This record gives sequence, C-alpha cells and structure tokens, in this order.
Amino acid sequence: MNRQWQRSVPLFERPVLTRPFAVLCGLGAIAAVLALYREAAGLGPASGMNDAYAWGVWKTFNIMVLTGLGSGSFAIGIAVWIFGQHRLHAVMRTAVLSSFLTYASGLALLGVDVGRPWNFFSILLPWRWNAHSPMLEIAFCMPLYTAVPLLIENLPVLLEFLGKRLPRFSFAFDAAESTIRRVFPFVLALGFLLPAMHQSSLGALMLLAGEQVHPLWQSPLLPLLYVGAAGYMGFAFVTFILLMAHLVWERPLDMEVLCSLSRIAAGVAAVWLGVRTMDLLLRRVILLAFAPTQAALLFWIETSLLAAGAIVALSAARRNNARRAFVASLLLCVGGMLYRFDPTTMVYRPGFNASYFPSLIELAIAVGFVAAAVAAFCVVVKFTAVLPAPLDAWFEAETAQTPRNPRTGQLVIEYAAAD
Amino acid sequence: MNFTRRHLLTGAAAGASLALAPTTAHAEAEAAPGALGLLYDATACVGCQACVSACVEANHAPQSASLDAARASERGLTTEARSSVKLYVSADGSERSFVKQQCMHCVDPACVASCMFRALNKDPQTGVVRWEPSRCVGCRYCEIVCPFHVPRFEWQGFNPRIVKCELCSPRLAAGLQPACSSVCPTHAVVFGQRRALLSTAHQRVAAHPGSYSEGRVYGEHEAGGTQALYLSHTAFGKLGLPLLSAESIPAKRLKWQKRIYSYLAAPAVAYALLAGVLVKRWRSHQVHEVHEEVTTGLRPQL
Repeated sequence: MNRQWQRSVPLFERPVLTRPFAVLCGLGAIAAVLALYREAAGLGPASGMNDAYAWGVWKTFNIMVLTGLGSGSFAIGIAVWIFGQHRLHAVMRTAVLSSFLTYASGLALLGVDVGRPWNFFSILLPWRWNAHSPMLEIAFCMPLYTAVPLLIENLPVLLEFLGKRLPRFSFAFDAAESTIRRVFPFVLALGFLLPAMHQSSLGALMLLAGEQVHPLWQSPLLPLLYVGAAGYMGFAFVTFILLMAHLVWERPLDMEVLCSLSRIAAGVAAVWLGVRTMDLLLRRVILLAFAPTQAALLFWIETSLLAAGAIVALSAARRNNARRAFVASLLLCVGGMLYRFDPTTMVYRPGFNASYFPSLIELAIAVGFVAAAVAAFCVVVKFTAVLPAPLDAWFEAETAQTPRNPRTGQLVIEYAAAD
Repeated sequence: MNFTRRHLLTGAAAGASLALAPTTAHAEAEAAPGALGLLYDATACVGCQACVSACVEANHAPQSASLDAARASERGLTTEARSSVKLYVSADGSERSFVKQQCMHCVDPACVASCMFRALNKDPQTGVVRWEPSRCVGCRYCEIVCPFHVPRFEWQGFNPRIVKCELCSPRLAAGLQPACSSVCPTHAVVFGQRRALLSTAHQRVAAHPGSYSEGRVYGEHEAGGTQALYLSHTAFGKLGLPLLSAESIPAKRLKWQKRIYSYLAAPAVAYALLAGVLVKRWRSHQVHEVHEEVTTGLRPQL
C-alpha cells in the first residue's frame, strides 16, 4: 500500500484516553512529584551523582542524547529548505513537533538538574556572560531555539486547529498565520543556525574535560562530530516516529518519502563514519581501538551499529522496504545515542576512584520527563494535523469533523458567501 | 619564611606598577605579577594534619568537622575540608609520601573558562580563583573540567554551594596568610607570591638535587602553570598529580571555539547567508503553494 503523503491530517478517529497513554501520564506524574522531592532534599538523596561523576543521566542522556534525536527539524529542515528536497515537506510537521517536545522536556529536566536554578536570570545580564564558555552558548541557544524558531514553526498547526474549532475568530488566526508567513524565512534561518551552534557546543563541553575523556572520543572535531550525529539521528528518529505511527495507528505509508529519508540518513552516517575514521588516523590513536579494553569494545559497538544502520538504510531505500527502513532507523538512533552518551559517562574517567549509576529516583525522573513528551506527542497528533497522510485521508477527516445535524445525521455545511 | 602584611602590600604595589607597564605577553599564558600561591614540599611534610584542621576551622565548618579533619582528610576534599593531606604508599611499601591537595589556582583555569556566568573567577591581582554564590547556577561543569578534581558540590539541601580552596581570601584581606601555611610546623606549606615561591623551590632543588623527583617544580608549567607549586621525592604522577602539557587547557581546547564565537562574527555571517538563501527558497515555495492550492482547491499547510 503506497499512497503519496500530501497533507497532514489529525488522527481524529483514535481515542485519546488509552491504557498506554494513562501509563505515560502516570510516569510523568510520578516524575513531577519526585522532582519536587529533589528540590527539597537536594541532588544527593535524589540521584546517584557524586563529585567524580558530577553529571548524571539528566544531562548526559536527556540533554546530550535526546536532543540529538530531536534534531529532526534541523536536519530534515536543511534537506527540505536548503537542498530543495520538496517531497520531504510532508514530514516537516512531525519533525518540528518531535524536536519541540524533546527540547522542551530536556530543558525542563535541566531546571531540575541544576543546583541553583534561580541564578539563571544572569542570562539576561550580558556583563555576567563568559562568552567563551560552551555552557553559556548552550544555556543561551537551547532555550532560544525552543522558544523562538521551534515554537513559531509549530504555531501554524495550532492556528489551523484553532481556526477550525473557533471559526468565529478565524480572522485572528489567519492574521497570525500571515504574520508568521511574513517572517518565516528569517525564523527558519534561526532554526538552522541555533542548533548548529548548540549541538556543536554539546560536543565542545567535553573538550575542556581534556584527558579525562578517552582519546578515541576526545578530539578537536568533537563539536563537528556531535552536529553530524545530530544530522543522521534527526533523520533516523523522524523515520522511526513515522513507522511507529504506521504500526500503532495504521497510518498509510509513503515509501518514496521514507526511502529518501533513509537514503539521506545513510549518506550522512557514512560521511560521518569517514570523518571519524580520518580523525582517529590523523590523531594516531586508531590502534587504541584494537586494545582489549571496555572503551575499544564500546567504540566497535558504536561503529558497527552505525555502519550496519547505514547499510540497512541504503538497502531499504533500494528495495523500497519499510521493514528495513525501520531496522535501519533503530540502528542509527541507537548508534548515535551511544556515541553521544559515551564521552560523558562510559569513557569519562575522573582521576579518582568513584563510580556512578543512576539511582532509582533519578531514573524515574528521567523516564517520566520522556514519558510526558511522548504523551504530549500522542495527544497533539490526535487533535491537530501533524502526521502526514494521503489526500483522501484529509477529505475523510474533514467530513468526519464537520458538524452534523444531531437529528438527521446530515452534514451541516456553511457555504461562504458567493463572490 | 614569614609573611607579613608589608610583604603583601609591597607585592601588590609591585604588581600594580607592572600591570601598568605595557606588555605584549598574552594574559592567559602568564601569571599576574602579584599572583599569590602555596608551595608544598612533600619531603618536609610529616602528615600532622594541622593544616587540614586549620583549614576546616578557618572556613567556618562545624567544630566537629574540625576535630574529625584527620579522618576526613583520608576521604580527600569534601565540602567541609577544602584541603587534605593523604599518605601515598607504593605497592611494595618501599616508597611513601604525604601529599596535600587543595585548589591549584591555575594561571589559566579550566573551571573559570567553563563557568558560564563567571561565578568562578580569578582575582586580577592575586590570581586567586573564587566562587561567587550569586552567579552560580549549579551546573557542575567546573567539576567535570577541573584536571585536579578540586571543586566540590554540596549534594544535600536545596541551596547547594560549590566549595573549594579560595586561599583563605578573607584572611588575606585581613593581612593574614592562609590558615594551612600559618600552622605548618615544618614549612612544608609556604605561602607567598608565586614568583618568590618558584625561586624558593628552585633553590631547594638546587641545594639537594638528589632528593627531588624529576628535579623540577610541579605547577611551574603544568596546564599553563599553577599558583600552587609542588616539590616531591616521589614521582608526581604517583601522588595523584596528573601529567599535563604546558599549554593551558582553555588555550589548548577552546582554540577554535574562541575563534568561531569571537564577537559573534561567524554566526552573524552564517545567519545572513542562511537568511539570504531562505528568502529565495521561500519565494519559490510560495509559488509552489499557490500552484497546489489551485490544483487541489485546499488551503496550503505550513
């Protein structure tokens, strides 16, 4: 079944309150309560962090790793808007929503993670800035990216929804949309510049850790490799979401779009692997990958996941095979996640004896914030036109959502005044 | 060596006059002329822990913590003990040495480079690295980047602090020397200006060339130089002092980052280019949208 994705359509026929949704909300609620406990008791009782491993999963997973997955809006946006891949327009709404939710959830958790969040107002006082700190760059760019380009790119979906629900005020929503259209290219430019900056700065964070990060990872190219990883992870994660929507909600697939997503993801991953290999050769540390160490094992797990992901993605694109595209997206996501997780945790070697494993509360909070984002995604796609669908699904949804006369069951159609 | 208020004042005056003189050297590569520091000589240390007790007391930690300092010291630096003295014993027991740990007050510190709102900052005159509570967000990046693993975070409570040696800044302001050096019975911990301490250290090495490891002063060049200096008969690496190159960590690691973000010039140019391309793309997209609206009769979706 291959029908061209032409319009985004709400999943109007699906119930919102399902059991998995309740579970997700429950996890989110538990996390919210535990976050309050953390605020009162401090980070020590609530987490497994210590002075050697001062960063736990909240930063190293929810921010470092998950915002990589949330780079769909950045990566696919560049393919669509800069490189003119017009067919991929169909998935942009899915991409911007997933990006917004991953970033928003990550940033909210960051507020729980930092010890003295009330001092964050210093971000408004330029004379306090340390312009060379990668952390300042992130603290500045990430919230700005979420609050401006990502929010504005998501607004048309909301305005479209509101326009339908509140037809009396549609003039206001139309005016808002036309304002957005007027500034849209400038918003898009910001939406590509800011992630390039903060995704690279996430890599630059670990530069200052110097020799504490294993030489297979510690490299002057770390910022570039982090952005590159965000590239293929963004493609792979949006592919994954679309295929999950197909599996869970039986959305029709557009194999042409999925194949081109897979092809580009494979290309980016292949170039990325090439750059990383060159980096290891030029820094003359490649032999460390053949030493019998845990770091070398991790390196090979990362590399083989990504290489396999690229190969499977390519074959999925050649053979028009959705199953392979799914496997490939998973491999690329997990490979990229591991690459972005390792330097901060697995191959981070603080100078003194200490170990870190997230505590139960810490894990529950991390999982809960992710669950809240997933729950939000499920709600939003059911009410608003986010997921791509063929044209007939659009008409079906329109007809189903048009008000009916309760007695006769007939459609109530208001005709606009004739010209 | 006795350190008096006059030493400090004359040092500061000399520092001020030098600071006014034109200089071509990079600020990040050289210590301030009036940079203060500590010299720790492991060959003279008897491990009495007097310095640790004095440190805990001077920093207003609870009395119980002060009494317990010796035991606390075994755990290394904590939020109560800003310095520690540990015993190193080699595997075969033939080699032993005490080693004191506290903030190294690097000449170009990684923690200061990492700190986004300059909560950790370096005093321009004395070079002491201090922590300012009103600016710290508690991100703990300083703990990740410090090559000496010095900053400690208060993991308990809702109002945590970053705790590290600040060279007893309040005592310095009162004309006193730091607590640790003031009580050391063997002059194993000496306080003074970095330049003076360096020459003292070199004199000690020259006087007893055989008794010092590697015949050098640790901290003279490590990571761009530190204001706490070490002498030892045991290899520095064994005492937990990391082997670091002479280039400071920020200079070495943030070279490109600094260039790319200087005056935000590169991001501004990138933005202008992106916006230029996108304005063009957006126009052709709108033409495409109109075309689609005509063929399908549906309002375009952004």
